Amino acid sequence: MNGNGWAVEMENLVKRFGSFVAVDRVSMQVRKGEILGFLGPNGAGKSTTIRMLCGLLTPTSGRAHVNGFDVGTEPEEIRRSIGYMSQRFSLYDDLTVEENIDFFTGMYNVPRERRAARKDYVLEMANLTERRRALTRTLAGGWKQRLALGCAILHDPPVLFLDEPTSGVDPIARGEFWKLIHDLAETDHTIFVSTHYMDEAEYCGRLALMYRGRVIALGSPAELKRGLTSHSLLHLDSSEPLETMRALERVTGVLDVAVFGGGLHVTVDDVEATSARVRQALAAKGIEVKRLERIEPSMEDVFVAMIEAEERKAA
Amino acid sequence: MLRKELIQALREPRMRVLLFLPPLLQCIIFGYAVNLDVDHARIAWMDMDRTPESRDLRDRFEGSGRFDVVAMPANEEEVQRVLDRSQAQAVVRVLPGFARDLARGRAAGVQVLVDGTNSNTASLILSYGGQIIAAYSADAMGRQQNRRVLTRSPGSAVNASAPQVTARSRVWFNPDLYSRNYFVPGVVANIIMMVTLMLTALAIVREKEIGTMEQLMVTPLRPIELMLGKTLPFAAVGLVDVTLVTAVALLVFHVPFNGSFPLMLLCGVLFLMTSLGAGLLLSTISHTQQQAMMSSFFFVMPAFMLSGFAFPIRNMPLVVQYLSYLNPLRYFIEIVRGIFLKGVGVSVLWPQMACLVVYGVTMLTLSALRFHKTLD
Amino acid sequence: MSYRRLRAMFVKELHHVTRDARSLALALLTPVMMLLLFGFALSLDVDRIPTLVYDQDQTEASRDLIRQFQGSRFFDIRGFVGNYAAVQGAIDRSRILMAVVIPRDYSQNVGASREAPVQILLDGSDSNTASIALGYAETVVQNYSLELRTDMMNLRGGEHGAPPVDARLRVWYNSSLESKNYVVPGLIAVILMIIASLLTSLTIAREWEMGTMEQLLSTPLRPAEMVLGKMLAYFVVGLTDSTIAVLVGVYVFRVPFRGSVPLLVVSTCVFLFGALFWGIFISAATRTQQKAYQISLLTSFLPAQLLSGFVWSIESMPKAIQVITRAVPARYFVTILKGVFLKGVGLSVLWGELGFLALYAAIVFLLATRKLRQKLA
Repeated sequence: MNGNGWAVEMENLVKRFGSFVAVDRVSMQVRKGEILGFLGPNGAGKSTTIRMLCGLLTPTSGRAHVNGFDVGTEPEEIRRSIGYMSQRFSLYDDLTVEENIDFFTGMYNVPRERRAARKDYVLEMANLTERRRALTRTLAGGWKQRLALGCAILHDPPVLFLDEPTSGVDPIARGEFWKLIHDLAETDHTIFVSTHYMDEAEYCGRLALMYRGRVIALGSPAELKRGLTSHSLLHLDSSEPLETMRALERVTGVLDVAVFGGGLHVTVDDVEATSARVRQALAAKGIEVKRLERIEPSMEDVFVAMIEAEERKAA
Repeated sequence: MLRKELIQALREPRMRVLLFLPPLLQCIIFGYAVNLDVDHARIAWMDMDRTPESRDLRDRFEGSGRFDVVAMPANEEEVQRVLDRSQAQAVVRVLPGFARDLARGRAAGVQVLVDGTNSNTASLILSYGGQIIAAYSADAMGRQQNRRVLTRSPGSAVNASAPQVTARSRVWFNPDLYSRNYFVPGVVANIIMMVTLMLTALAIVREKEIGTMEQLMVTPLRPIELMLGKTLPFAAVGLVDVTLVTAVALLVFHVPFNGSFPLMLLCGVLFLMTSLGAGLLLSTISHTQQQAMMSSFFFVMPAFMLSGFAFPIRNMPLVVQYLSYLNPLRYFIEIVRGIFLKGVGVSVLWPQMACLVVYGVTMLTLSALRFHKTLD
Repeated sequence: MSYRRLRAMFVKELHHVTRDARSLALALLTPVMMLLLFGFALSLDVDRIPTLVYDQDQTEASRDLIRQFQGSRFFDIRGFVGNYAAVQGAIDRSRILMAVVIPRDYSQNVGASREAPVQILLDGSDSNTASIALGYAETVVQNYSLELRTDMMNLRGGEHGAPPVDARLRVWYNSSLESKNYVVPGLIAVILMIIASLLTSLTIAREWEMGTMEQLLSTPLRPAEMVLGKMLAYFVVGLTDSTIAVLVGVYVFRVPFRGSVPLLVVSTCVFLFGALFWGIFISAATRTQQKAYQISLLTSFLPAQLLSGFVWSIESMPKAIQVITRAVPARYFVTILKGVFLKGVGLSVLWGELGFLALYAAIVFLLATRKLRQKLA
């Protein structure tokens, strides 16, 4: 057990599958009680990183510690002290809710005195106390996810790894799920979550943005948004979006135009000057401007901007 | 759809091996291993007489090529042990006084104790052993006769003739009575059944289990297209297997092939209709791959065993014999054997072919209807 | 090894087994089906061979010979024909297996004390029956020949002698030579092998396919615990099946049981362990159920059926294949079963076989445990 005190730390973690580099020199430290969100599109390397931390994959190079245990040499100890929810639903469909809980209670060797209490707690938390005898197969998506989360914390592990726990779950259930995660964090559990839903990023304490195996940004949501210091974002609603897009291409100061909902998000360098030029250009074309104002970038905007920056760097 | 299935099936090299290996292995095993004939049966010899005559009898046993003397037990206990431990399959005991009794024209005693645990080989051993003893007996009688004639009228022409009825046997179709010629044609039939029925059922149920079935149902794919897409690739594989096994049978095992290959392929297609239909049917009643596998085994095994492939239908209880008329595999085996060994054609085989057609159509219609229903 | 984890695994597998009613029913019915099949329907016994007679001689002498065949339980004379074409047609259509053709000069040859050949025609496509039928036919003819000679000798010599050699033939262990007695004990080995491989070969592959394996790998569960836990659950089914098989064999088919019950129980358990561990090993080595099933059929069921000596005796196989059968566990179990049921022998004779089975189980357990690495990659 090393004395740094980090719940999870990684140093230049690399995972290669043949010639394909899935995780490319990832380094970070996670404090106890933090909720760290792993954001990124599919194939970015989130699941691979999590699997390495859980001891499911052997890193090609680099080091990592979870709860002070080394992932390369002490996988047994790690397994005992973490909870893991895999991306695919991983409970047994043909077992009842209760039977699934009992099974994982056994797997994690929950001490006899605590068994009943933990079981009740998990049933409570997942709101399945009345349905404890139902076959897992009959539960709807959201319930299943809560049950899976419950089974992962039966042994009260200090660190939790959740790999896309909310995929395929409806928005309301998603919100409730995140509430559960927050409750857990408040009781000193460290939670490592990966997701591809950008709006969930706001729920996390810190975010790691992953793209093509690399962490391209690391910080709290506020920090990351402020990171876009050089650019500002304008929201533009006009009568003819397509025409508008074409027109804007030639306006100086406009860095990027993206469709967003019914309108456009325009990335500009200087808000005052460029807004004026935009209005001019559109007026010249006879396009009516219904709304043009500065907005706070959402995580999605941040992310898209960062990715494009990466692509430009690579090119 | 068809392409997808074929590609899926053939993509993995391991899968390819699995599609073609079992038939070949079966072919080899049945061709070489399963041999019901008895040569070099191990026997124990207990000679309680120890005379030239008893040794002569022993020489005949060993000289026949069918028996090897592997033990010479000296007492009852050793006899028991030899048979208990299966060191020998039979014990031949020449009783004391054998030669003397022979000389005096009295019945001389020989005992043959056979281990009946394998009744098939036991019958054969009894049969062969009995024949050797009978031949020895006949010769002994001949000598006795000569002696008598001589004592009665010494000097007269030795007319030592007596009637001797002998059996001249001719075996048709499989003159050397090779077991493999009997089994290998049956293997052909078995392969088609196994590959098409089992793999078809599995392929469909697999999609159900993994969940891709729903995906397929949402596409404009029509049920009939889905069915065909799932069954035709395996039909093709089945026919290729048949050709492969036939080739191996002819080239490696030299099983005679006296009939027409196109006819066999045609009948193969007829038979395919039934087994593909059955595969489809099985897929509709199974929810998981495990169920599909277990039920396909449960139904294919009896169909296979009761088809006359290895065990003659004639030996079965009457009820079962009648039931076998419902087994399409029975007809196909008759056809395959007929084509391989007997070289007969449509003129002889048309009743079996007709039955196959009837079964095939019925089975396909039934399963298609059911398949339709379950998709809704 | 944690007892709790082992127990949790065992309980979970048991749930899987009991919840899938269809598979369970099939698992319990399969032994009954196979017993009915092999004990009742299938037999290699040869009697009532359909025969045709083509008597070209048509004399008292030839009719006397024909009576020998008629009187034998091995032959079932289906008719008398007058030409070869009829014989050919009947054999082609598989209406008969054998034909006795008595040539025109038969009675003359007998009368003149010459050799009197008789033709036996056989359909060789069923080589087993044909071999046996040939043997019986030759025996009938030889015995008849001997009788004729004895009679002739006695006529000349005025004595009533008997054939010089009196062969007394006795069969041990299975005196009625009923094939069911010899097939059913060995069948138990085949049944258990089938059930064991069918059930276990899918179990791990299924966890991979369903995605639960990944979850399991992230828990403290050890490979040995997974293998043992799964095995024990299916062991329960296997033991039930073997009990069913033995009871049906002894009480319904009246197969004799002359040996010791404890030996039977112990060897069944050891055999089951080996068969189940093998299935689990295959399941661990493949990632899809389909492949696992086919491989298990190939390596468990086929060898058990064909190479174990349960119906087709090993002695008759070519030496090379006999060597291969030494690697088939079912072979040893079949020997034990036949020994316990029919011969009534005990450990002193069968210790070698039992030892092999125990060794096999241990080795495969280690293989399975090693195959189940605790990593995805």
